[in-house]
Amino acid sequence: MNMKADVTRRTLLDVQDLHTVFEKDGNEVHAVNQVSFDVKEGEILAIVGESGSGKSITAMSLLRLIPSPPGRIVGGRVLFNDQDLLDLDDEQIRRLRGRDIAMIFQEPMTSLNPSLRIGRQLAEPLRVHGSVPKEKVRERCLELLRQVRLGDPEKRLDAYPHELSGGMRQRVMIAMGLACLPKLLIADEPTTALDVTVQAQILELLRDLVRANNSSMMLITHDLGVVARYADRINVMYAGRIVERGTAEEIFHHPKHPYTLGLMESMPRLDQAPGSRLTPIPGQPPDLSDPPPGCPFHPRCRFAEARCRSERPPLEQITDNHWKACWVDTDAKR
Amino acid sequence: MPNAEPLLQVSDLRVHFPLQAGLLGRNAGTVKAVDGVAFHIDRGETLGLVGESGCGKSTTGLAMLRMSPLTDGRIHFDGEDITHPDKPALKRLRRRMQMVYQDPFGALNPRMKVLDIVGEPLRVHRLTQGRAAYREKVMGLLEKVGLKAEMADRYPHEFSGGQRQRIGIARALAADPELIICDEPVSALDVSIQAQVINLLEDLQKELGLTYLFIAHDLAVVRHLCHRIVVMYLGRVVEVADRETLYDNPQHPYTQALLGAIPIANPDPEVQQHFNPSLSGEVPSPIDPPPGCPFHPRCPHATELCRREAPRALEIEDRHSVACHLHDPDRAQAMAGNL
Repeated sequence: MNMKADVTRRTLLDVQDLHTVFEKDGNEVHAVNQVSFDVKEGEILAIVGESGSGKSITAMSLLRLIPSPPGRIVGGRVLFNDQDLLDLDDEQIRRLRGRDIAMIFQEPMTSLNPSLRIGRQLAEPLRVHGSVPKEKVRERCLELLRQVRLGDPEKRLDAYPHELSGGMRQRVMIAMGLACLPKLLIADEPTTALDVTVQAQILELLRDLVRANNSSMMLITHDLGVVARYADRINVMYAGRIVERGTAEEIFHHPKHPYTLGLMESMPRLDQAPGSRLTPIPGQPPDLSDPPPGCPFHPRCRFAEARCRSERPPLEQITDNHWKACWVDTDAKR
Repeated sequence: MPNAEPLLQVSDLRVHFPLQAGLLGRNAGTVKAVDGVAFHIDRGETLGLVGESGCGKSTTGLAMLRMSPLTDGRIHFDGEDITHPDKPALKRLRRRMQMVYQDPFGALNPRMKVLDIVGEPLRVHRLTQGRAAYREKVMGLLEKVGLKAEMADRYPHEFSGGQRQRIGIARALAADPELIICDEPVSALDVSIQAQVINLLEDLQKELGLTYLFIAHDLAVVRHLCHRIVVMYLGRVVEVADRETLYDNPQHPYTQALLGAIPIANPDPEVQQHFNPSLSGEVPSPIDPPPGCPFHPRCPHATELCRREAPRALEIEDRHSVACHLHDPDRAQAMAGNL
């Protein structure tokens, strides 16, 4: 079950006004625009959004994995244990990646090196960070593969990635991510490429291991079902900005931002009677090289007022566990 | 249903692909993509074909259009045997049966104007007389799918994913088909856009009396759109039932596991307790499928019989059939006798 968000827990990661731009056809695309959020110790924080919302670029910016050019982090602070990751030199950030903050990507097919055996790849973070003595590396690798419940671990160490199924490869990715017991695990759509029965196994495993290690996880996904099951708190992103933030309970039962409301209404729900008509969000997300003035959602918003077209609403706290970036009192208007 | 005869009837469909190895193309076995599939589609209904990757659902859809080779089986469309049509018959058939594809980016020729993409079936089947009538017909189709008539002169790259899927639907509608095979038509789209396309498909069905074969892996979308659902696993049909029956009372252990593995967008503990990710392992390779019931290596109820013999499809109640030894009273008795 979800842990209730606990405001008294220590902050592990504090992101302030993160701003990442991409150069595209001579234009600046503001992929992540003044994004602020934090991750508490021991929590699972979800970042939800559709394609182009900036959720993956946010994650990659934290670890400075943005390809440059065309990308550039132009502003903000990323405080991890009170140290600004954006100030670190290349060597320092390399030492931190995998050891303190690890990342699991969407595509296990492309994230593993096809020409190296699993054992060698799994051992790499352990060797680079010297987390275990040399003679213990193999033992630790076997232990990790057992932890992610990969059958026949001895044999798998000598296998190449193509000899494993998609689900098995994703288990290896998780084992690599957890190898050095990072304090923060960033999982970017970790199961999107997998079938639903395999997705369920992998996500349960990931949640259990993160809890067992006393780590935190940032879960990046477009799947609201996954978010409802695993997240303690949720950030909803749209057009490079966070438009709503709250506990899972708040976001699913009392959504306030018209975009979040729209997502809930446009999705066929298994927990509701079938057959009722869906309410889509009209139009499509804006072109971020030429965003609309005011609130980025206003061209698709059924509540939009004059002010929304000219002035961008800031992300403001509305209750203890809930923030929104919207001028309109959506509860009154519904 | 006003007309009791099904629009499409498939029996014992098999699609096997030879597997070649090495430079000489030595025969290295057979992929049994579809292995003994039977179902029918009633006029005006939406039949869902669901299952995980490799279950053969897309191959089955392509076989309907005769776009994948049949190894065995029979297909009847509107009472006519279309298993081995000659060329003119195939052309007639493809006018009455159209397809909407998953990938709105790959399915449209980037060098063609929307006018000629949507109008292609009109040209192939010579359905309009003269350029003006052709243009007018295409513009009408674009408006029908919620696009603007003047978009006819643009190219695919100028459109978003959702708009491209509308173009694909307009093309499918051009020849006034009776059956549209939709292969994952919304799975590449974002949630907010997905609903637009789902509603469009619903409206068109109502307006034009269309019949859909809806192939998808997203069980929430399938429950929303489909009247009846066929669940496939590793090339076989494991369960067929009306929507309400399938979701409220699934009987095949695979259907039960599949439904239990979908995370539901509601964090309440009462809702979450139905989540049951108990199924272990992954779908085996169709090159070397397990003997007996294809699901037995993952099935919590598997017996010796399941490892040995493939179960037959049995109607356990009206409009609900299951291929599982657990639901076969004769087999269960035989098993008890053996013990």
